[in-house]
Amino acid sequence: MKLIFEYDEQNSGHLSDEDISITLPKDLTRTNLPLPNVSEIDVIRHYTNLSKKNFGVDVGFYPLGSCTMKYNPKINEDVARLEGFRDLHPFSPMDCIQGSLQLMWELEQQLKEITGMDVFSLQPAAGAQGELLGIMISKAYFKERNEKRTKAIIPDSAHGTNPATAAMCKHDTIVIPSDSRGNMDLQKFKQSLSSDVAVVMLTNPNTLGLFEENILDICDLAHKNGTLTYCDGANMNALFGITRPGDQGFDMIHLNLHKSFSTPHGGGGPGAGVLGVKSFLSDYLPTPRVVKQESKYILNNTKGKSVGRIRSFYGNFGMLVRAYSYILAWGTNIRKVSEYAVLNANYLLTLLKDVYELPYDRTCAHEFVISSKKFGEKSALNIAKRLMDYGFHPPTVYFPLIVNEALMIEPTETESKETLDKFALTLRVISDEIKENPELVRGAPYTTPIGRLDEVTAARKPNLKWIHPQKNHDNENLQI
Amino acid sequence: MENDKPVVAEEFRFSKEHEWVTIREGLAVIGISDFAQKQLGDIVSIELPKIGNEYKQMQEMAIVDSIKASSDIYCPISGKVVEINEDLLEHPEWLNQSSYELGWMVKIKPSNINEFENLMTKAEYDNFVGKIK
Amino acid sequence: MDYIPITDIERNEMLKRIGISSIDELVKEFKPALKRKLNLSIPKSEFEIMRHMQDLAKKNIILKYFVGAGSYNHYIPSAVNHLLMRGEFSTGYTPYQAEMNQGTLQAIYEFQSFICLLTGMDVANASLYDGASALSEAALLSSSHNGRKRVFVQEGLHPQYSEVLKTYCDGADLELTNEIDDKTACVITQNPDFYGNIENPWELSERAHKVGALFITCVVEPTSLALLKAPASYGTDIVVGEGQSFGIPISFGGPYLGFIAVKDFLLKKIPGRICGMTTDSKGNEGFVLTFQAREQHIRRERATSNITTNQGLMALAATIYLALMGRSGLTTAAKLSYSRAHLLHDKLKNIGFEPLNKKPFYNEFLLRAPKPSDEIISILSEKGILGGLELGDDKILICCTETNTIQDIESYVSIIGETL
Repeated sequence: MKLIFEYDEQNSGHLSDEDISITLPKDLTRTNLPLPNVSEIDVIRHYTNLSKKNFGVDVGFYPLGSCTMKYNPKINEDVARLEGFRDLHPFSPMDCIQGSLQLMWELEQQLKEITGMDVFSLQPAAGAQGELLGIMISKAYFKERNEKRTKAIIPDSAHGTNPATAAMCKHDTIVIPSDSRGNMDLQKFKQSLSSDVAVVMLTNPNTLGLFEENILDICDLAHKNGTLTYCDGANMNALFGITRPGDQGFDMIHLNLHKSFSTPHGGGGPGAGVLGVKSFLSDYLPTPRVVKQESKYILNNTKGKSVGRIRSFYGNFGMLVRAYSYILAWGTNIRKVSEYAVLNANYLLTLLKDVYELPYDRTCAHEFVISSKKFGEKSALNIAKRLMDYGFHPPTVYFPLIVNEALMIEPTETESKETLDKFALTLRVISDEIKENPELVRGAPYTTPIGRLDEVTAARKPNLKWIHPQKNHDNENLQI
Repeated sequence: MENDKPVVAEEFRFSKEHEWVTIREGLAVIGISDFAQKQLGDIVSIELPKIGNEYKQMQEMAIVDSIKASSDIYCPISGKVVEINEDLLEHPEWLNQSSYELGWMVKIKPSNINEFENLMTKAEYDNFVGKIK
Repeated sequence: MDYIPITDIERNEMLKRIGISSIDELVKEFKPALKRKLNLSIPKSEFEIMRHMQDLAKKNIILKYFVGAGSYNHYIPSAVNHLLMRGEFSTGYTPYQAEMNQGTLQAIYEFQSFICLLTGMDVANASLYDGASALSEAALLSSSHNGRKRVFVQEGLHPQYSEVLKTYCDGADLELTNEIDDKTACVITQNPDFYGNIENPWELSERAHKVGALFITCVVEPTSLALLKAPASYGTDIVVGEGQSFGIPISFGGPYLGFIAVKDFLLKKIPGRICGMTTDSKGNEGFVLTFQAREQHIRRERATSNITTNQGLMALAATIYLALMGRSGLTTAAKLSYSRAHLLHDKLKNIGFEPLNKKPFYNEFLLRAPKPSDEIISILSEKGILGGLELGDDKILICCTETNTIQDIESYVSIIGETL
């Protein structure tokens, strides 16, 4: 499809003196702005047509494991766009922002109750930033206590963000293998708990979709060693009202509001990665913090031991509005979300486990990992591509790394039995196709706007932006 | 004296991490084996060490990326980097096409030439790889 | 109201198929079991939610803003929101499966192109969280590029950006320095700076390069790029900034849009997603996420950053905004912002405010008020105007965009004039 830049072929990019017509010195102003001029109707059609080449939860089943692609209620979009929220400047005086502060304060109370943590910071923009904040807090905590701890324990099933975050804070990673039941190996964990271990980072349920059976022991052992416990809360959707990470012994947890709390994924973001901690770590949270004083809400900027800000202003406020609205809808019934998320996952697993290999034969939580190893190399990739022809978004493939030809499937609670039945049937049909007509599956997809793309050339001969066909803007820009 | 033992020209030795070494004009020329490049698949990007860096045997030295994987390359022999294959940075596909010639990665001035001897010979390496398969 | 489509009959069928009799059996190993209901409010209907949220929103008071400081109230064409609301865009995720998400991918490619056209740089990524964290990522990138540990910041950086930078540097064991020398990883300047001053920072960039440091330009008000020289033209190695001005509501500070663009030699070090154009087996052009081996899901502890997603929908908003505005629209908005700011500046000067900008400014400027600044702000706010950001010592930072009409400017001046 045409690029937006190709709608304006006359685009010389040249700016005349009249275009600028301001009194700035010439050495500060540009003479060239090569943006296209496109009519409104063309812009609307261009992006509407692009949207038709896209797939979202609103289009069909999107069982992308670890990402919780549940239905995003439309009311949340409407409330986030209320003028009082959308058009509020973050530097408004305190008496003009009471509604927003009240919302943030109440959301914090709700999240504390749901997770069993004592205090939340709503500032992190995404799960990865929540993690980063968590490890920064751990670092500040030990620095204050004059303890030199520079290691992070992370199981081999963990999301890549966990070790990447530890590395950003100059921590070395100790990787613990998973045991035969898919738990972090308890013996190996014990052996690696030395006096320089700052933190153990766990996802629970883990990325295999399994509840860590030794979680109470793990947290207990860590604490006895003076080590902090961090929960990657990406999989919170399994736990609402059933068990709380705070009660399991976690000192910190980030929640992905765009996963469990239904804010839309937006094609990659914005998310929100709020961080909850136990009270002994609360002084380290970023500032400012929303505080309730009698019937008023204020922003407290007292820095104290705080690690500082991690983004401008107060976080992805628009996402907080949506998550808050979602929690209001569920209220005391929120346990049902997790119950049905777990039900749907186990039901789907039951329909598939005689055809696909189940590396850890246990009751799963809200998602599960199966392997297509017996169908040969690259089979998970081929199955993923073939699923597209049947109108499904593929599951997460090749993750976690410890399962060969992994297909990681998370149906979520918002899918119907009919959808799950169709999806299971499709995966069974594809498994037959692989046996009977392997070429068919290897060549998939056939019905998408484009076939399998040449990723090798994309990386070896990068084409990362539009360049004006008639001239080289790189040079042009350097002259201006 | 062990040190005086002449090294046969163009004899390739291999590490367990699938690097090869050969000695040319007193320098250890290093790359990755044909088996390694096949395992990695289409290589799209390479990070080489800086000239002057020193490595102990089997210390991480370089990174090779394919589309879906990123692999450490270990220095199979201790010493100091004296030359890197700059052209390879522009042509990562050479690692796939010509892993023993065009695909050489670095030249090292070995600090202990004896280490060459404790690496696998071609026959030993083929046997080692056979077991992996 | 609930969002679960499974009926009780279906649930029982599903349990039977699994071979159990209740959902409780599926979660019995989740320890420790919570023995009570969560203490949350009674579930609300959609109508009740709307009413409740309207009441909360009404507790916020929207003023006429003459304040920017990192959050700029530009006009957003209607079409932006209409397109963003399409579920195909808003309810998809990171385009891991390129064949099904060409829409998102092409939009990212266009976004990267727009950022490169505006900044003059070689490569942009698919976006980062916000301007402040993008700046911090740039500092970490510099350190990983040249192995140095010190970060120099030119005076005039947005104070919140300074705070975020400090937090990231503490985490990564980098230190902020007052020297530019052979230990400096990068030199950072904001242009226009926090007080609105515009510079051509050639000299600073040369000083940085002379000692082998990278030169980073931070752009907090990106509509300025419609008029001002592209940062590449004065030797910038990394441009970072905040894209909120491009079609994203001020929304009490977020979600916003960080961007980063670099020279070619830093391509492999850039954090976050990058989209590239390639072809399928039939030769059709299409888009994929590329250079993924830099990223956390593959490189784990050796990744360029821990960042996972971009700010997808915000980057799309900016792309659509820039497409709608085009060369003509963006320069018009920028010129209006410039001229309105200068109009207000001159009128306030005439009634006794002291101009404090020593250099040309774009759409923000600093004045010293002829009477206590808190009085001025409070007089204006009683009349529905947020008159600026107080910076202490009676200094006020004032901003105009094209949404500050001439009438609004005149009433601002006359309200204050009457009190002097």
